[in-house]
Amino acid sequence: MNKKLGIMEIEPLVRDRYIQDEFEIIGKRGLTRMCGIEKASGRAEYTRDVKLPGMVYCRILPSPYAHAKIKSMNTEKAEALPGVRAVLRYDDPELADKPLYGLETKFNAGHLASDGQAFYHGKEELAVTLEQWKQGAGRILDGVAWWEGHPVGAAVAADTPELAEEALGLIEIEWEELPLVLNPMDALKPGAPLAAPEINSKNNIIRKLKIEHGDVEKGFKEADKVIKFDARRRPYTVAEAEPISDVILWRGDNVEIWAHQQQAYDGKMLFALKMGLPLNKIKLHIPYQGSQFGGGGNPMMHHTHGVHIISGILSRRLGRPVKTFYDRRDTFYNLSQDADCYTSFRVGFKEDGTITAVKIDNICAKMGQYGIDHFEENTRIPNLALNYLEANINVAPAYWFRCEQNHNALCLSLVFEHVAAELGMDPTIVALKNDGVEGKDMEYLSKFKKEHGFPDRDSLGECIEVGKKAIDWDNKWHKPGTKVLPNGKLHGMGFTWTHEWDDTRGTACAGVLMHCDGTVDILSQKSDDGLNAMTTHCQIVAEEMGLKLADVNFRMFEDVGFQMMTPDGSCNLAVDAYVTRNAAREAKQKLLEYATTPIKLIDIEYPPVFPNNYPDDLDVKDSVVFLKSDPSINCPVAEVVKRATLNQGGTRAPLFTWSWHRQGRYGTERGRHRMCRQAYFAEVEVDPGTGGVEVKKIVNVNDVGLAISPETCEGQQYGGDYMGVGRALAEEVIYDPKTGVKLNGNLLDYKVWTMRDIDTTVNHLVETGMGYGAYGLNGIGECIATVVPGVIGAAIYNAIGEWVDDHPMTPDKVLKAISKAKRGGLR
Amino acid sequence: MRRFKHYDACTLDEAVSLLQEFDGKANVIAGGTDIVGLLKDNALAESPEALINIKNVPGLDYVREEDNMLKIGPLALLEDLAHNKLLQDNYPALAEAARRTASPHIREMGTIGGNICQFSRCWYYRLPNNRFNCIRKGGKDCYAEEGENRYHSIFGNVKDCLAVHPSDTAPALIALEAKVKTTKRVIEMADFYQTEEVKKFSVLDSDEIVVEIQIPKPAGNTKSKFEKFALRKSIDFPVVNCASKVEFDGNVVKKAKICLNAVFVNPYVPKKAEEYLEGKALEPETVEAAAQLALQDAKPLTKNEYKIEIAKSLIKKTLLACK
Amino acid sequence: MAENNGGAKKVSLKINNQEYGIVVEPHWTLREVIHDKLGLTGTKEMCDHGACGSCTVIMNGRPILSCMTLAIECEGKVIETVEIVDIEKHPLVMAYANNHAMQCGYCTPGFVMTAKALLDRNPNPGEEDIKDALEGNICRCGTYPAHIGAILEASTKLEGGK
Repeated sequence: MNKKLGIMEIEPLVRDRYIQDEFEIIGKRGLTRMCGIEKASGRAEYTRDVKLPGMVYCRILPSPYAHAKIKSMNTEKAEALPGVRAVLRYDDPELADKPLYGLETKFNAGHLASDGQAFYHGKEELAVTLEQWKQGAGRILDGVAWWEGHPVGAAVAADTPELAEEALGLIEIEWEELPLVLNPMDALKPGAPLAAPEINSKNNIIRKLKIEHGDVEKGFKEADKVIKFDARRRPYTVAEAEPISDVILWRGDNVEIWAHQQQAYDGKMLFALKMGLPLNKIKLHIPYQGSQFGGGGNPMMHHTHGVHIISGILSRRLGRPVKTFYDRRDTFYNLSQDADCYTSFRVGFKEDGTITAVKIDNICAKMGQYGIDHFEENTRIPNLALNYLEANINVAPAYWFRCEQNHNALCLSLVFEHVAAELGMDPTIVALKNDGVEGKDMEYLSKFKKEHGFPDRDSLGECIEVGKKAIDWDNKWHKPGTKVLPNGKLHGMGFTWTHEWDDTRGTACAGVLMHCDGTVDILSQKSDDGLNAMTTHCQIVAEEMGLKLADVNFRMFEDVGFQMMTPDGSCNLAVDAYVTRNAAREAKQKLLEYATTPIKLIDIEYPPVFPNNYPDDLDVKDSVVFLKSDPSINCPVAEVVKRATLNQGGTRAPLFTWSWHRQGRYGTERGRHRMCRQAYFAEVEVDPGTGGVEVKKIVNVNDVGLAISPETCEGQQYGGDYMGVGRALAEEVIYDPKTGVKLNGNLLDYKVWTMRDIDTTVNHLVETGMGYGAYGLNGIGECIATVVPGVIGAAIYNAIGEWVDDHPMTPDKVLKAISKAKRGGLR
Repeated sequence: MRRFKHYDACTLDEAVSLLQEFDGKANVIAGGTDIVGLLKDNALAESPEALINIKNVPGLDYVREEDNMLKIGPLALLEDLAHNKLLQDNYPALAEAARRTASPHIREMGTIGGNICQFSRCWYYRLPNNRFNCIRKGGKDCYAEEGENRYHSIFGNVKDCLAVHPSDTAPALIALEAKVKTTKRVIEMADFYQTEEVKKFSVLDSDEIVVEIQIPKPAGNTKSKFEKFALRKSIDFPVVNCASKVEFDGNVVKKAKICLNAVFVNPYVPKKAEEYLEGKALEPETVEAAAQLALQDAKPLTKNEYKIEIAKSLIKKTLLACK
Repeated sequence: MAENNGGAKKVSLKINNQEYGIVVEPHWTLREVIHDKLGLTGTKEMCDHGACGSCTVIMNGRPILSCMTLAIECEGKVIETVEIVDIEKHPLVMAYANNHAMQCGYCTPGFVMTAKALLDRNPNPGEEDIKDALEGNICRCGTYPAHIGAILEASTKLEGGK
């Protein structure tokens, strides 16, 4: 495959044109995970492990009140504690010109997204000014607290973490406590206390949005039946593995940063802007990261740049490295938590399962997801309407994580489940009936696929068939509330679906560097928080260059200036695979040119390894360059490179290429239809005595387009199951209703699921090749934990015969539903 | 973490002596999985000034049958008790309670003495830096009453406190009619928590240490069972748990001992249910009636009514499993 | 009264067959000493309150939580930290990497040490034994199913080795 793809060639709506027929390394099972040896032997370094000589530790003061102003602050006692090296106050001069987050950058700072998710074709109605809106996530260090745990007042740097903590306790603050509001519905009542008058002095509304397609009232008239129901989703949080920290060290007017972020490059840019530094004076280290699922890596979250600025200022003051770190409780305030949502649905449908209209009224705390997106993106429902409103309340910022489709996936699931239940129909049939895109049906989508070079496969149909077989759906699914097992428990089966979310957007660049021993380094910003990008990108490069996998590595933990799109995260392979693919193809071309071109110096000419040939005469396999017409004429890649690089007057300069790629789709851009689907099935047993729900089996079926690394894809499937079931049954951020103090800011009271809490997960990958990514891949991982609450909810309904549409579906709610079902005469 | 002095006692006498020296301001440390957490969070209004380590006192981790009773040393580790054949065969409620306590790692550190003496797990009590100076810490209020009380008591308060007792082994020991021997006296396990002092979690004096748990050997036709309900299958404290011991006379109940925990400030013995069962066979109807009786006096708070159903369910499960 | 009068004390910690003499304050946890003072950074801090298993070390053969253990009480105890599996080239390392029993890797040392403690006691565990042993280890990435295969694979190497 020697076609040269133009670097700037952008074909956003077309399938990857240059896919080979067979793969040696891509798609193979049984490859050792490249980061695995380091991680399993405790040798992998994380930011939390970084310790530099002379380093001091910095803690930021968390507000004890959910809404309060600092009237006066005395830091003398803290400063006087032996071992305390510096105290940064919110009113210090270094912070005077940098009160707000990321204001000047391309990002919409504050608490809303940078990527267009928050802005729907300009139809938003901000209830506040843009300036005010950008402040939503707070300032670097402020004198006013908008939530309990808000980093305010002061940051203390001391010789040890415990001294920093002790010093925080010595800061004397006179607080003015202000009225607070903790629930978005309360926040909207007339006369409600103002959560943040600095953002909105009139009311607690932040943002409103109305979306309409078609005519829902007409759609309801056309329906055979119209139903109404409500759902609530309480907030849950990242609870990331490694509590976040950073380290900053000045070397003259240069800076070194150790960062724990998904998009550390963005953190670097914000730091540069705020501190008045050019980007080329910043060296950025990105060690391995404990998982944060995008909820620990967004530029507008406090830790991403607020913490950097604090570390940066203190490090400059002290001339020493500063590590600012969160303890576990801090992480519950400063990382993402998905919003409290109250959603009302009105749905019209025909007897055959065709849905004619969907209307959603959605009220979220602080920032949520609309709820209508998946109806737009993968159904043929022609009439849709959304009323969306964000209300400010005195809790930590909301921001989505794994992923921003949480509420969108849940809303789709709830509507389909309720329709199927009303009709007494198999929900898989209702799903297939309504599959489509942007209000158009599968016939239209089929045409689109053909026109744009995609295989024309029925992704949802295939996923459902695989899943039904795996869970024995046809034999086990039954009418709701009708099956009691011999052990006394209520048996339930659930199904849900949506598109296989591909976050294919943005730009990426990467370099491929070939050392003079023939081994290769991939150069690009890493952000290893568990997605095995290391191995999969090496697979791509090895495949494209014809190298052994063992000869390729991707372990630059320093930012070399090449930035991948949310590396190791959302847009990972869906975008970034193009870039390593393209760079590898260029590198191979260069290698073959090296193999066939003489090196001419002034008096000497060094012949190439293959003197009488052109690059097209050669190919590479297993790290050996060979003549296509006679493979017995060959030379190890290492030798080719060595001869090319060493015969240059003693230098060892490696062979180097790079590539750049831009993906077309941007958030809600129309016309780039999503074709890959996923189908999830679950089997549960509900204990009618306790309300406890046992998850016996989850069957994950995801159309990933093409799996570069099947085990990695499966890891996302079962990994997402555990997070999803936790969200469905137990994960919830709990506040004291009077004071807004977070009551379960620790990993005992906030329930992260254990090994014992799901019996079996079954993983199936479908590969239709209908992704926009390189090789027709789609990606996987974002939209798994998003769909699992829906499938568990459906299974519980099937077990009980009554809905529990209040997530998490804790025993109290399940017992209530069982009671209601009994009164309704079921069983 | 709060600072404190630390002493290693080589004998129990030395430990008692140190406790007396600190006059209520020192705590014994055994496994440490409870007290270390409290100190890390600086949760108490008055943290102990010193910890007295008794792990170096030899010979306190035994399990043996003697004098027609089972004797367990206070430092016996929960993981060892969970796998102890003697317990599994003859005192299964305790073996199961030990097995279901916390996590494997905590069980490899935690002792039975520590488990029965543990502090409250109420989130208002445990918040760092004494954020809520509640009644149990010398303050005035119980914040759970009008606050977040989904895990709190369904049988009302004790001296205005609504936090539940979190132990899994305590209800098993009570159902098994255990006694606690200390450096000063022998106490019925059922009386171990009836303290008048709101800041304490047992009747132990500040210079008193548990030296042995004694469980009477059950009669031949006796069964005991333990069940625990929690949101997760491991690590979690109980939302509700229940231990039952039934001694049979033929196929009717001669004596029933039931103990619920995590439903009240102290482990809760539903005496009316126990009395009701005497002379009756363990059938679904009798067991149902017993469960209803047991929860008759429940006074749920705003958010914890569901625990009543769970408690009934666990009583029925444990009783029927004793058949 | 104790010689240190209740204050800091010099302890000798036997870690991975090496002796480390260090003066410790009473309130220092074993994890802090291992990770921060002795630079053995494999033992991780995740919850810091004994609820996740990430800080697991093996002490006198038992898998315990170093974040809830006071270093001052560890005189004379035989301690193994995760670095030992690298030093000894324990089959768990390759088995974990082959089975993808990690994603971000932050909790992995805790799992590996818990698994090692299991295999040290029982070199031929079944699936239930493995779940019993690992049910206290939290993995936010949800890698749980992969650990079964990894530990079973490691156990075959151990048995074969014997």
